[in-house]
Amino acid sequence: MISSFFFYLFAAVTCLSGLMVVTSRNPVHSVLFLILAFFNAAGLFILLQAEFLAMLLVVVYVGAVAVLFLFVVMMLDINFVELREGFQKYRTLGIVIGIILLAELFTTFFQLAGDSGALPETTGVHNTAQLGRVLYTEYVYLFQLAGLILLVAMIGAIALTLRSRPGVKRQSISDQNSRRREDTVRLAKVRSGEGAEAKEGSH
Amino acid sequence: MFYHAIVFLPLLGAIIAGIASLSQQHNIAILASIAGVCLSLLLSCFAFVEIALGGQALTVEVARWIGSGDFQAHWTLRFDTLTAVMLIVVTGVSSCVHIYSVGYMSHDKARGRFMAYLSLFTFAMLMLVTADNLVQLFFGWEGVGVASYLLIGFWYHKESAHTAAMKAFVVNRVGDFGFALGIISIFALMGSVQFSDIFANAATYQSHVITVFGLSMPALELVSILLFIGAMGKSAQLGLHTWLPDAMEGPTPVSALIHAATMVTAGVFLVCRMSPVIEYAPLALDIITIVGALTAIFAATVGMTQFDIKRVIAYSTCSQLGYMFFAAGVSAYPAAMFHLTTHAFFKALLFLGAGSVIHALSDEQDLRNMGGIWRKVPVTYTMMWIGSLALAGFPFFAGFYSKDMILEAAYAAHSGPGILAFWLGCAAALLTAFYSWRLLILAFHGTPRASAEVMSHVHESPNVMTLPLVPLALGAIFSGWLGYEVFVGHDMAAFWGDAIFILPGHDALANAHHVPVWVKVLPIILAASGVILAVIAYIVMPSLPARIALLFAPIYQLFFNKWYFDELYDRIFVAPSVAFGQILWQRGDKGVIDYYGPDGLSGFVKRSSGMLTKLQSGYVYHYAFAMMIGVVVLLSWYFSGFGR
Amino acid sequence: MEFSSLTFLAALPEFILIFFALVLVLVAAFARHSDGHIKTVRTISLVGYATGFAALFLLPQGATEIFNGMFRIDGLTVYMKGLVLLGGFFACWLVGDGWGEGIDRAEFHLLVLMAILGMLLMISANDLISLYMALELQSLPLYVVAAMRTGSLKSSEAGLKYFLLGALSSGMLLYGASMIYGFSGSTGFSEIAASLTTGDISIGMTVGMVFLLSGLAFKISAAPFHMWTPDVYEGAPTPVTALFAIVPKVASITLILSVTYNALGEMAVQWQQILIALSVISMIVGATGAIMQQNIKRMLAYSSIAHMGYALAGLASGSMQGSTSVIIYMTTYVFMGAGSFAVIMTMRRDGLPVERISDLSGLSSTHPIQAAGMMVIMFSMAGIPPLAGFFAKWYVFLAAVDAGLVPLAIIGLLTSVIGAFYYLRIIRLMYFQEANAPLDKGGERQNRLVLFASLAVILLFFFFIGPVHDHASSISGALASFS
Repeated sequence: MISSFFFYLFAAVTCLSGLMVVTSRNPVHSVLFLILAFFNAAGLFILLQAEFLAMLLVVVYVGAVAVLFLFVVMMLDINFVELREGFQKYRTLGIVIGIILLAELFTTFFQLAGDSGALPETTGVHNTAQLGRVLYTEYVYLFQLAGLILLVAMIGAIALTLRSRPGVKRQSISDQNSRRREDTVRLAKVRSGEGAEAKEGSH
Repeated sequence: MFYHAIVFLPLLGAIIAGIASLSQQHNIAILASIAGVCLSLLLSCFAFVEIALGGQALTVEVARWIGSGDFQAHWTLRFDTLTAVMLIVVTGVSSCVHIYSVGYMSHDKARGRFMAYLSLFTFAMLMLVTADNLVQLFFGWEGVGVASYLLIGFWYHKESAHTAAMKAFVVNRVGDFGFALGIISIFALMGSVQFSDIFANAATYQSHVITVFGLSMPALELVSILLFIGAMGKSAQLGLHTWLPDAMEGPTPVSALIHAATMVTAGVFLVCRMSPVIEYAPLALDIITIVGALTAIFAATVGMTQFDIKRVIAYSTCSQLGYMFFAAGVSAYPAAMFHLTTHAFFKALLFLGAGSVIHALSDEQDLRNMGGIWRKVPVTYTMMWIGSLALAGFPFFAGFYSKDMILEAAYAAHSGPGILAFWLGCAAALLTAFYSWRLLILAFHGTPRASAEVMSHVHESPNVMTLPLVPLALGAIFSGWLGYEVFVGHDMAAFWGDAIFILPGHDALANAHHVPVWVKVLPIILAASGVILAVIAYIVMPSLPARIALLFAPIYQLFFNKWYFDELYDRIFVAPSVAFGQILWQRGDKGVIDYYGPDGLSGFVKRSSGMLTKLQSGYVYHYAFAMMIGVVVLLSWYFSGFGR
Repeated sequence: MEFSSLTFLAALPEFILIFFALVLVLVAAFARHSDGHIKTVRTISLVGYATGFAALFLLPQGATEIFNGMFRIDGLTVYMKGLVLLGGFFACWLVGDGWGEGIDRAEFHLLVLMAILGMLLMISANDLISLYMALELQSLPLYVVAAMRTGSLKSSEAGLKYFLLGALSSGMLLYGASMIYGFSGSTGFSEIAASLTTGDISIGMTVGMVFLLSGLAFKISAAPFHMWTPDVYEGAPTPVTALFAIVPKVASITLILSVTYNALGEMAVQWQQILIALSVISMIVGATGAIMQQNIKRMLAYSSIAHMGYALAGLASGSMQGSTSVIIYMTTYVFMGAGSFAVIMTMRRDGLPVERISDLSGLSSTHPIQAAGMMVIMFSMAGIPPLAGFFAKWYVFLAAVDAGLVPLAIIGLLTSVIGAFYYLRIIRLMYFQEANAPLDKGGERQNRLVLFASLAVILLFFFFIGPVHDHASSISGALASFS
């Protein structure tokens, strides 16, 4: 009973805030509603006894991703109203399409009602512990794959943003260390009245 | 491997020669093509011993090609006695012609290309005779057609040469169309184009009936007649013969190789190869006999009156092919193959000899401008004699054995068409001897009719041109005597094995050995009288021919103008087709098809393309929207119940 | 769970690529940035592809599943991996020094290597999760390399578009995957297939399948999920476009093949309809869209959309003949793509790459070999016998007809006629048009290997149809639907 109440609460708030993310005029508000949606989704996870995922959602999405969004939105001066104007033309069609899709998905999920065989049984072990048991054994392949994807994402981000600007002076420690005296210092006898440069020219 | 080499060495030679001739390396081209063909000849001899004499027919797989559903086409080479005989003939004559061409074409700037074409032709011909199924045979068939086109039109700057090449191609196309229809109907009937399947099943399809456009006829008759139409085209039989004389526009070695010894015999080969099918088609056999006999006499009458030395021989070829066909028509396939073989030798010899004469007389081809040169070209003269003796069928020359065998078989068939063929064949034998000696006398004897300048240049051809004549001459003398026993004599059954099939009731060939003596002697007498007539007409009373021509002016004109076949075809087919084509082009093509078809369609496509380009707006949300619409439409399809 | 035995050898090519990728990371980070630097990097990745290819021959014969059934190899996957590695090798070879395209950096090769790795994993995916992960591993690097030409707005735009729409398609795919998981109770392909054998097919499975296939259709740029393709092909640096054109589609098509034939084999009636729809739209859009294009990369984008339409037509027939025809189609596709880009990438004027179709005019007089090669490839793409492209199309249409999809085959034939128009237009330009300003000489030398290899395959395919068809047929026997 209580869990049903919370389920509908969280679900309703998630949906509403999701709607607000798309409709609100102020982009900062959008991001804030996104954070709200994340929080409620985390609540839903807890109701499913998936507390690890719930915490992960809060830590990663709220703590890192959404905040990053917030920074970006605040730093970039984008006129969202102007951008949105393009959408207006297609609003009716979009709404129609959306409603059809929604109706179809509803039909589908009503069929599913009562049939929840897909959920694995909980054997009294915490969700976190369960994840820990399988993540590095049965799913080690996927775990490694995820690692590779993160590596790619990191390299990709660096590759896109790192720019070697010519003309900027940088310190190269290894160059400095590997430098030898002979490479750089030249002894020259300088006669009075001639200077060292003239001598060099005749080299 | 060694069987593959027989077929592919000439191809290799052709490729090397083709590449070499691009960079004007004529010597390399000549060497490569000759080496390819001669090696192939050498191997063919081994193959002949092993297959024909050793009695080991076999098939060799080259490659698996397409296998999809019912359609199986594999590339396999079939070697049986029929193939082995053709291998010897093709590579043998081809080798001689290759070598001869070195001399004959020595002044031509494109001789490398010429050699490449010759080798290519040889390859295609070998593909034809080694084919294991009809499609492959068709490939070779078209291949020799292409090579022939290229070679007839070799001097493409000559208007007449490329017209002749085109004519040969188009007329052959009529035959090929029949052939292709034949292949299709066999496939429709039996579901296979493989010889082994066709031959094994032919008997079971005897009573099948095919209905075409409401016309019913026995399936095997239809198939056989269609295949024979193909054979008629390639072998220049009456009705589809018009291209052959014109094909003499090509260089003489080409005429010798393609239009005398090998390619034109492909039709005969096809009929013999398909004997297991044709044997069950009595009507088709009769048609073959009659067409063959008519061709034999028709071509001989025309041959009497022509003045172009090569055309005379060309009509002679046409006539001899007629003999081969009516032999096949009375189920004497071995006799047809026997004559094919001997004919290849003496006809190639005659052509190459004629080429030598033409060469000697500074490219003069008109008999009226020749004469009186026999002392200056002794070798050529001798060779022409040998060739003519063999052609006329004088005793103990090659033609004697094979031609007499055919006539005897025709007589022994004891059927209406057989007797018709016998008498027409006898008449043609007389005419053959007549025009052969007419040619000999006009070309070599009498007073020189060429200009003094030409006469001063008359010389015997170089060794490279005369030496290749020697093996051919030997063949023209001895091949009949050597081959008689195995081809049509007592060893016949063992020799041919399963390669040729003769229905038990069709025993013309077996009976041919027991015909009355007069049947055996008549052709010889006729040949002798032909010679005598020729001597009388052209040496004793040189004014006689002109008087006879005047006396029988209508008949002479008919013969001289080749029975007006070309004019007839021009009237019936060419002119109406051109007019019809004009109408179709102006009204149909431009007016309707172009307007609605390509122009209309392309306009439509262009408009839709423009619309599509407009959709491609570049906005990400448009794209995303399109994707979503796509998903929703697909989903709705299932929800609305269509998808179940 | 087996950790001990040598079964991991089944993923040997992937391990090898990972090894080379890590080597490249180190080289990129620590090597001195000198002129020869990029050459070393390219050589390393070329060696990587070659070694991976060689490793394919060491793999155990027969079907093997490892990593808890998430990774599967059999004859089909090995063959497709071979194609992908070959395509990767070609693409990498074509990059050259990447000068003028903004991709003369070690990271580029590293990312491409990772993308190829992702493709190999996609081909072997035998589970919805591994499918998704492999797909992302493939996609992420491709997003990045599309945007890699620094300072080019077009390139950034291409990358961003590709990324955004790719994310959307990933979303669809994930949604579909979760539905399928929800209704079948499992993520493994064989378990899903097993769950379908009992009872009716629920609408939920169908919906899941629609979303899943829509997500995958994006990856092979089948219409109407194709709209990113022309923009990305045009905007991305040309070597990247070459990569897009040659390789990823092989992996994605294989993925569709294994999802439909392995996991959802029992739902053939349902997915056939989707594939037919996608195929028809793709063929039409591909053929008509290409006509108006002025940019050769854009044109080839539409051409690849049409090609995918043909491949889908083969898939849609749902028969073993169909899968065989797709395998053959993708084989020829790789070589035609590689060959055409081997020519396009030599198109430079005054040292800068040009990419308008009209720039090809008069190519026959300035670059005869390139022009002849391009002609052969265009003829092959248009499906002129006896070139490889003809047989590929022929088998596809044959499969469609045999499966009773005659209208599909007819539409295919019509669109290939339309398609012939723009392929032949290129030939006309090259051979019958005067060059307005001749292209640079000398650049073609290094692309010759790829061009000649492709031409050899296209021209000689004719002789090897029998064996190729037999092999394709026998390896498609490894699909679950046929065992």
